[in-house]
Amino acid sequence: MAPLGGYRGKILRIDLSTGKVSSEDTAKYKDFLGGTGLGYKILWDEVKPGTKAFDPENRIIFGVGPLTGSGAPLSGRVSITSLWPNHLNELPATGHMGGHWGAELKFAGWDSIIVQGKADKPVWIYINDDKVEIRDARHLWGNGIFRATEEICNEVGSDTQVAAIGQAGENLVRIACVMCNRSHSAGGVGGVLGSKNLKAIGIRGTGAVAIAADKKAWKDLTYEFLSLIGANNQGVVPRTPQPWAEYYGNTRWTARKGLYWGSAKPAVETGECSADDLNRIGYRTQKGVLDHGEGVGEKYLVRMGGCHSCPVRCHAYTEIPALETKYGVSRFQGNTCTGNSFGSGFFSSPSGSEARIEASQLGSALADDYGLWSDYGQFPRDFVYGYKSGLFKAKLDPKEYDSIPWKLLDNNDPAFLLDVMKRIAFRTGELGKAFADGMPRLEQKWPEIAAYHQTYDSSCWKDAHAKHHSSEAGAQVGALLNMMYNRDVQCHTHTNFMGSGLPFNLMKEISGELFGSPDALDSSTQYTPMNKGKAVFTKMSLIYLELHNSLTACNWTLPLWTSPRKDRKYRGDVALESKVLSAVTGEKISREELEATGLRILNLFRALTARFMNEKDLRNKHDLANEWVYEYPKDKPAFAAGVTKMDRADMELAKDMFYAEMGWDKATGMPTQQTLEKYGLKQVAEGLKQQGLLV
Amino acid sequence: MNSDDSVIEMPPIELADASSSAMSRRDFLKIVGAGTAGLVIAQVVCVQVDAAPSAQADIAKPKGMVIGDPTRCTGCRRCEIACTSFNDGKNQPSLARIKVARNLNFGPDGAQYGYQRQTPGHFGNFLIVQETCRQCAHPVPCMMACPNGAIEVTGPVNARIVNTTKCTGCRQCQAACPWDMTVFDEQLKKASKCHLCNGEPECVKACPNAAIRFVPWQDRSKDIPKRWVVPAYLATPPNVSSTCGSCHK
Ligand code: SF4
Ligand code: SF4
Ligand code: SF4
Repeated sequence: MAPLGGYRGKILRIDLSTGKVSSEDTAKYKDFLGGTGLGYKILWDEVKPGTKAFDPENRIIFGVGPLTGSGAPLSGRVSITSLWPNHLNELPATGHMGGHWGAELKFAGWDSIIVQGKADKPVWIYINDDKVEIRDARHLWGNGIFRATEEICNEVGSDTQVAAIGQAGENLVRIACVMCNRSHSAGGVGGVLGSKNLKAIGIRGTGAVAIAADKKAWKDLTYEFLSLIGANNQGVVPRTPQPWAEYYGNTRWTARKGLYWGSAKPAVETGECSADDLNRIGYRTQKGVLDHGEGVGEKYLVRMGGCHSCPVRCHAYTEIPALETKYGVSRFQGNTCTGNSFGSGFFSSPSGSEARIEASQLGSALADDYGLWSDYGQFPRDFVYGYKSGLFKAKLDPKEYDSIPWKLLDNNDPAFLLDVMKRIAFRTGELGKAFADGMPRLEQKWPEIAAYHQTYDSSCWKDAHAKHHSSEAGAQVGALLNMMYNRDVQCHTHTNFMGSGLPFNLMKEISGELFGSPDALDSSTQYTPMNKGKAVFTKMSLIYLELHNSLTACNWTLPLWTSPRKDRKYRGDVALESKVLSAVTGEKISREELEATGLRILNLFRALTARFMNEKDLRNKHDLANEWVYEYPKDKPAFAAGVTKMDRADMELAKDMFYAEMGWDKATGMPTQQTLEKYGLKQVAEGLKQQGLLV
Repeated sequence: MNSDDSVIEMPPIELADASSSAMSRRDFLKIVGAGTAGLVIAQVVCVQVDAAPSAQADIAKPKGMVIGDPTRCTGCRRCEIACTSFNDGKNQPSLARIKVARNLNFGPDGAQYGYQRQTPGHFGNFLIVQETCRQCAHPVPCMMACPNGAIEVTGPVNARIVNTTKCTGCRQCQAACPWDMTVFDEQLKKASKCHLCNGEPECVKACPNAAIRFVPWQDRSKDIPKRWVVPAYLATPPNVSSTCGSCHK
């Protein structure tokens, strides 16, 4: 296509069965932007219903978009779309990876990679600008991600960006990930690479991503963008009172005088970090104290880090000497959020304790090398339940049961992880296999786990997937969002807005402006019944989730619907994404047009889900929630103060109102023919019709 | 004439707010006391043979330089982005005149020694080493190597700058810089290097961790080079080197 700014113009396709490497015109897919949108489109066009995740015919799409590598803030992410191994019916889903790999792909001249087929022996793909080679990876197979990365860099250059799988992916573990830059992972898709005998993709790119806007205009927009950013998850006020700040609230903006990156040599103070000091955005989020607790989270933090182009820095890197002496792994580790709570999730050591941070970082050392994914915490939770409830003892062969060092687990000794992580990554024994096959299959194998998933303690939403900012985050909004996808729902649009930390009344006002009703937003201690504002809020959340994952832009901080700027009355800019995209590509696109593109992508995903389920009644067969959502707590009714319990009839109303907002059929929740055609998905409507799924 | 004769005595420097690296050019020039009438620096040009204007023994000292602090760097590469996006209108790390990407994962030593060691890099001890141009004192390796005299000392801060109308794209300067700090624009077929953005470094303005600063110039040409190359005065093309004798007796 005519080279626009942002895009590089071609997409790389690699067929590992034939060894054929080819290039396709990006223009074909421009209606879907890139990233996850491109991934859905490829799955729709090329993968037949009934295909399974580990079949050679399955595609895996490493999707980047027009903003990736453009240097726009927060544009470092990659959407990796495929049939999802960790779903019982292997429906389509996307894993999301940050780091520097996606930008490097753009510098190398590619707008995404489609991989299909299966190599006859282990290989890795070397992309050196427009030279693409399939190289032997037999020497890497059986080794972890750290070694694979190091050996590839030693082979072709230390500045290579490598995304690799570890032994978990090789062994077709359904909760395996692909990782780059040591701590950036896309959960779930590792096994798909393993099934294709694909160990890694290493990239070196020397080219340019063009910016269409003139330099001055682009610079002004960039600094405007930066001025609207708060901390990680778009908390726009500090967590503690600061001399410069009007407000403070429950945010990740932890920086303050006297709080340090304690293991920097010498220590670095995070300091005051006033909202107008753009040279300190990277200190605002000292996440060590959030992920590990005060004290240890400060003492051991070397620095923060994160993706290409992002000033927010949400990954916390630590140096813990005891990791070396006690467990024989490197003292330097790090991750963020659930990556950090994976290891500690097996134990009951309190936040802020040495035992807990050791467990967390040992967990990272092992999981990030084996390429094992926590399934947003569902794996450790189910594992601990299985042990504590006596299920494992009852089900496992005594010889196997006794070979596992349970004493360590009883004593909250992190060394237990050395056994459990390896056991799952290598599918050792019945227990190893049971968990390696993922939680949906674990439910099938042991109904006790399925029963556990219906309880609040399991934090399991549906289909054996973890809840992820669900009913506790915006009541019906979070609940509807958690019904939409085929994995734990990676939506932060709503939480990034709700977690601004601004006073509730001000947030109500802003909700009114955004969603047409202040009632879209409930106080976190008093939920109210469904209303139209909430339906609009849910729709907006989904639109921007899909847009961010397609552009690509980070949905872990965007959208910037609020801002730290008092001069703007703490308003952000809803049109920011469209302004940035227009400036980069040079094609003027309005907010409304961009949102229509988001809806196109979202409706395609919905159609794709129906197609792979071979089911049109998504309302009753897909958009579901586990029992606890409606039952917990037993002794209080829905909408009582302080409870997040949902009401069944109200949730049915919520579906009605949300489907109406989306142009989806009330009875089935399917996008109607009219809706599909409105968003340029005529061909998709025809496909659904052929399959008997069109309503 | 000894090149040291042209050293500018800088007044002691007091940075108003050491934590803020976003110093405006005006502030900066105020600090170094330049821009005032008495401080115009004479450029004494060596005897010219074959018109090689780069062979200037007594070239003006730079007034500033960009330095990095690896203990603050989080590897976001917004500095590289700003350098090329706001100077060249495209985002291209290979063209950035500040270098982070190449040290990001395995540090300046690279991946040759394995991983997770106590050496810099994201797979090592987490230190990320930003490399910046030293704006070298005479003999300026990149400048001396240029057969076309295309690298010139240019105000307001006397950065060593590629004059693209003179640059023929021969890449001699790239081979000459001991720190591998010159870059090459493959689209324009011209060399480039850090020009200090007319005294308002974009990279410094962009850094969200105040990990790079624009400071008064100091001679850091003694730092261990990234790569050992033939010393500039030997690698210099004949039309340039033949002028050396006029000073180096
Ligand atoms: S902008 Fe600052 S923190 Fe980011 S890579 Fe450059 S020097 Fe490091
Ligand atoms: S030789 Fe290298 S470090 Fe010295 S002025 Fe030239 S580019 Fe800068
Ligand atoms: S001072 Fe300017 S030219 Fe030099 S590295 Fe920084 S942004 Fe680039």
